[in-house]
Amino acid sequence: MQSLVGLITSADPAVRNQSLDVCCRGASVQELIAATRELDTFRRGAENLYERVRALFFLAAIHRFHLPAVLEKSGTSPELSALIPFRGYEQLLQRRFEEAIDTFLALQESSGPSDGISSALASAYHRLGFQTLADQVRRSVRTVRGNQWMFRMGHPGDQPLRIRPDLLQRSPEGAFPILREQTPVRMDLTHSAWSDIFFLGMDYPEGARVLNVSVDLGVHGRDASPRPPVSAWLRVLDEPVLRLTSVDLGATADVTALSDVFDFARDYLGLLKAAVIASGIVPPGIEGSGHSLAELLAQIVGPGRGLELVSSVNDIPKGSRLAVSTNLLGSLISVCMRATGQASSLTGELQESERRLVLARALLGEWLGGSGGGWQDSGGVWPGIKLITGVAAESGDPESGVSRGRLMPTHSVYDRDAIPESARKALQDSLVVVHGGMAQNVGPILEMVTEKYLLRSEREWHGRQDALTVLDEVISALRRGDIKALAAATTRNFREPIQTIIPWASTRYTELLIERAAAAFGQDFWGFWMLGGMSGGGMGFIFAPHRKQEAQAKLQEIMSATKRELQHALPFAMEPVVFDYAINEHGTFADLLAGDAALMPHGYYALTVPRLVRQDRQDLPLARRAELDTVGAAARTRPELRGLVQNLFDALLPRGRAETRAGASLPELLEQNGFDRAQHEQIRRDLTGGRIGLAQNRLRADSVIEDVRDSDVACVEGAAAVAARAAGERALRQGEVAVVTLAAGAGSRWTQGAGVCKALHPFAKLAGRHRTFIETHLAKSRRTSRAYGAVLPHVFTTSYATQNPTELFLKAVDGYGYEGPLLLSPGRSVGLRMVPTERDLRFAWEEMPQQRLDEQQQKVRESLRAALIGWARSAGEASDYTDNLPLQCMHPVGHWYEVPNLFRNGVLARLLRERPSLRWLLLHNIDTLGADVDPALLGHHIQSGAALTFEVITRRLEDRGGGLARVNQQPRLVEGLAMPREEDEFRLRYYNSMTTWIDLDRLLDVFGLSRQIILAAGEGDSAGSRAASETITAAIRTLAARMPTYVTLKEVKKRWGHGQEDIFPVTQFEKLWGDMTAVSGIDCRFVRVPRPRGQQLKDQAQLDGWLRDGSAAFVENLCEWK
Amino acid sequence: MNIKKAVITAAGKNQRTLPLQSLVDRDGVSKTALAIIIEEALSAGVEEIGLVVHPGDQPAFAAAAGSHASRLTFIEQTQPLGYGHAVASARGFTGANPFLLMVGDHLYVSSESKGCARQLVEMASSQDASVSAVQATHESKLPYYGAIGGKRVAGVSELYEVSEVLEKPTPTEAEQRLIVPGLRAGHYLCFFGMHVLTPSVMEILSSLVASKPNGGIHLSAALSTLARRERYLAAELKGRRYDIGARFGLLTAQLALSLSGADRDEVLAGLVELLAARKP
Repeated sequence: MQSLVGLITSADPAVRNQSLDVCCRGASVQELIAATRELDTFRRGAENLYERVRALFFLAAIHRFHLPAVLEKSGTSPELSALIPFRGYEQLLQRRFEEAIDTFLALQESSGPSDGISSALASAYHRLGFQTLADQVRRSVRTVRGNQWMFRMGHPGDQPLRIRPDLLQRSPEGAFPILREQTPVRMDLTHSAWSDIFFLGMDYPEGARVLNVSVDLGVHGRDASPRPPVSAWLRVLDEPVLRLTSVDLGATADVTALSDVFDFARDYLGLLKAAVIASGIVPPGIEGSGHSLAELLAQIVGPGRGLELVSSVNDIPKGSRLAVSTNLLGSLISVCMRATGQASSLTGELQESERRLVLARALLGEWLGGSGGGWQDSGGVWPGIKLITGVAAESGDPESGVSRGRLMPTHSVYDRDAIPESARKALQDSLVVVHGGMAQNVGPILEMVTEKYLLRSEREWHGRQDALTVLDEVISALRRGDIKALAAATTRNFREPIQTIIPWASTRYTELLIERAAAAFGQDFWGFWMLGGMSGGGMGFIFAPHRKQEAQAKLQEIMSATKRELQHALPFAMEPVVFDYAINEHGTFADLLAGDAALMPHGYYALTVPRLVRQDRQDLPLARRAELDTVGAAARTRPELRGLVQNLFDALLPRGRAETRAGASLPELLEQNGFDRAQHEQIRRDLTGGRIGLAQNRLRADSVIEDVRDSDVACVEGAAAVAARAAGERALRQGEVAVVTLAAGAGSRWTQGAGVCKALHPFAKLAGRHRTFIETHLAKSRRTSRAYGAVLPHVFTTSYATQNPTELFLKAVDGYGYEGPLLLSPGRSVGLRMVPTERDLRFAWEEMPQQRLDEQQQKVRESLRAALIGWARSAGEASDYTDNLPLQCMHPVGHWYEVPNLFRNGVLARLLRERPSLRWLLLHNIDTLGADVDPALLGHHIQSGAALTFEVITRRLEDRGGGLARVNQQPRLVEGLAMPREEDEFRLRYYNSMTTWIDLDRLLDVFGLSRQIILAAGEGDSAGSRAASETITAAIRTLAARMPTYVTLKEVKKRWGHGQEDIFPVTQFEKLWGDMTAVSGIDCRFVRVPRPRGQQLKDQAQLDGWLRDGSAAFVENLCEWK
Repeated sequence: MNIKKAVITAAGKNQRTLPLQSLVDRDGVSKTALAIIIEEALSAGVEEIGLVVHPGDQPAFAAAAGSHASRLTFIEQTQPLGYGHAVASARGFTGANPFLLMVGDHLYVSSESKGCARQLVEMASSQDASVSAVQATHESKLPYYGAIGGKRVAGVSELYEVSEVLEKPTPTEAEQRLIVPGLRAGHYLCFFGMHVLTPSVMEILSSLVASKPNGGIHLSAALSTLARRERYLAAELKGRRYDIGARFGLLTAQLALSLSGADRDEVLAGLVELLAARKP
């Protein structure tokens, strides 16, 4: 194996750009360990940032992908492996990555390598790599000239900025003029293969190139014509406050304390606050100084005066991939800089040096706000069409010697000679820009891109080179005005390099839209163009010009219909829209509004006037009174203010909710889904009385939690496996088996509480197509059925949230052509979410070990949490959570109920009637993709005579939330919620996969039921049937009473405005299947299975690793598609 | 370069009475601020002084100049069009000669035996170029001064070759354009209110006056042009400037003068007494 350090340090690109995967191929455990030792020693001494970072990512990849694979092959026994030390885990949470690495390495040295330790090391190296990169960007942002002074300034008396005198010139009536900045947003014509990630630009400046266009926007059919979509407004006030208003988010606040300016997540004004700070009005250096904001403002504007800053977005929805928020930040910073003399002209366009400063400040602002856009995102500040490129760092640059490239790119604006007017027009005549309605977090994708780049993963690296040639093709086509060629290039870009680098950039939704646009327009559909981080939100479709108008209407229709089909499968934040747009040739542009024209944007007055009219006119400052007079007059004469009076009435006298809601109400839905009000009230009493809660979920503190003994866990291998397999195959052939997939959950973690149906999510491309979880599970059952000549019945359990969508979806896809019985088992229980108690929120956030975030993000999180605690108090602790869509207020009550539901809802009765030979059930979670009816495991279960056999896997760092333990000498599964002490979990080698083999008769026996009762209950509406049903209900209630009830906090999304989303923590309760192992009298056994079989896909960020580590291929091998 | 002429400006809206204030000089003699400034110029070898005043202020200034009045040529600034305009008004007085330019509301206390003006004039003579006196100033004071950017002149301590001049820059501009190697972080070289200028400056100012009939004529703009046209230097002098127009400026200037002169002990004793008598 060649030296990996050589790969990092070589000056020869042919060596430096070799793929890590290729170098590690075929290496032994010893060779890989030796390579990691060399890399670790190297990275500790490396001065150059990127050499250090690349070594860190090499180490992470070897521990994540290469070592586990060879360890698995070498047959390392988990019985002999060391456990992941809790101390190292705690160090990780505290972001003490170096210490964590040392802890894990020490253990690896003493106990030898293992899958678990490698998972911990992979995580630690990975996070240290990203931390190092983030630190460097932060340092670079601070060292940009023009930003440095703001970090030195710590006293109001030192504030060197002064307001431009023009802004102090009152009108005769006493009103101050308003400075208005209007800014276009940016489109990226080349997508750029994410080369606009800062880390890439700073390491590979020659590969960081994007073609970026500033555009005005309007919503097609709503707005008369496109206009700059974002604007920022500033004026002087007669009060010593900082008045911030976000018209689009409907928020306004008078900030009077300096500390509140730095409190970003307290309200919706974080972006405005970031702009005030990044523009130097409240410089970052003054944070925490305890000085007075009024004093600081007096220095800038004069004693007793303040500033008002207003932001407005022309109702452009979030997630448009047009960098709306970065350009709004740029607009706000620009208006603040102009007002304080930091730009030479108060109005008009900015000079190039000033635009660069706005960019530098926007970077600072984004970092302050805990977010981070791409380095091309402020493109709207520049005019027209420009090529943005990375720049190599030279001596004298702050980056010199640290990274190959500068932090800030350079912008070359194309003039009319380079791209003639005709070409610009041709582009606008063909391109339809839309927002598909999906809103997704692109953060994980950007991390994947960075990692793949640093590893020079073979295919991805070639994809990146290919994307650069696409960029040249796009530029050349645009210069020629050949939009058809341009469309071919952007389509190829999407199909080839982009998806080679990140397969997740496309979605089933996008594929359908392209397919349908092509079907509707044939040859006149010229191509697709992906905007930004991933598709589904902002996208471009290119048509022959004579059909563009028609295409705008048709696309709206296609998108709306496709959204309706997929709305339960994918997270949509809003109705899709088609935009009108025009290239903006000015970039950001300011004008001064004085006299009668000095009015804030439409929408501002609806927010602020209701409060003013409640005040005594005499109490209003002079400028406010003058303004109200002007507004009153303007409302009568200016057409754009026509709706103002109506808006004011709406704001003063909000309409009742009933008027605005459609569909079934929450009480109706609760009623329909068997909501138990008495139980709910009991839970509330217990919650407020402190009898239940997060802290009370735990087992008694004196419980003895130990790891299981080797004899507690079986392993089906060798000769035993052969015999077991024969038994399993026999049962399969005799039709004794059915599969039950738990699909009642809404996939809270999968889409951060978006309330979609996870089972229907087309999560990945397998065998060339996007597949849903359901399709994948059915494909496995199909393969088993065919192999053993007996069709497997497959049951998907559902809940109030998933039943209808799943039913409709399966109908639409014709059950994926599944040959065997395909049944849905509807839920029979539902809960109503509650506002959490402060006690539980504090327990979760303050007492449970928490992943500490990067410095600024941590600050933002703490501020958000303080706000959420405030929300819980004001909304009423443990009160019903009803301020959302009804379905988002309800919750499934845990997967324990999904099994007895089979008894109650007639599904089991039907199965038993149709196949009396049924004896064994395989129960698994929707996200356990590797679970199938493996004959050896089935045979093992049959031979063991157990009632339930639970499959477990060896633990990796990410496997959190309980495991297999001996509790007071009794082997059982323990939920993470129930662990008395966090560290107990780290003493357990095995993690619960939740996959369970069930002996049906013995399970019924546990409930005190029998086949006869189940069958009797399913026989119509006779007295016997009713009696049997009652027996079943009573049996379930009796066992349920013996199961622990957990109180949990879940995240739920509330959507509002134009694609805006807020996430709230809510309280719900649940009973969990794994606790069956704790019920006395049930014969439970445990069997160890390979990780690809037992692992669960909980989070979309796992997908890439899942694909790369061979798990996807493992699953594909289990499937036979229709 | 032989500097025999000086121009002192005292026509500014807020400057007109300041030079008339009385102070006790370093030698313990009571005189007006104007007299102290004139003596500073004379000590540098200047023989003729042009005093730019607001129309009608001549009698008061003549009186305030006392025995030096005979050396003065009064020049009236007819319209308040900016500091650059005030200087340009003296073009007829300076003619084709280099001149020392001072402001009527600043006093200087040298920390060596040579006065500040003398240090500057000697530097300009030896370098044969325009030289502005500058002082390293914290960025929080940038809204009050013109400032320069440039690099150190090899072999001469505290002397800089000016490449950029900005009037009252923001710290943002200053950080990008006025970085001078060797200064403390957050400090810039700001004007000291004292320059030795070549006749080119008058030429540049005249064209500025012609192009801006409504005013806003800044000396800094002319100096910025000068830096591009000919060798233009800045010198850090051994001494301090006191702006008597600032809040407590007169008091501070008086204390500085007294503490560096014959009455040091008496003034110190007075201060100590004041401090001791101050109630907690």
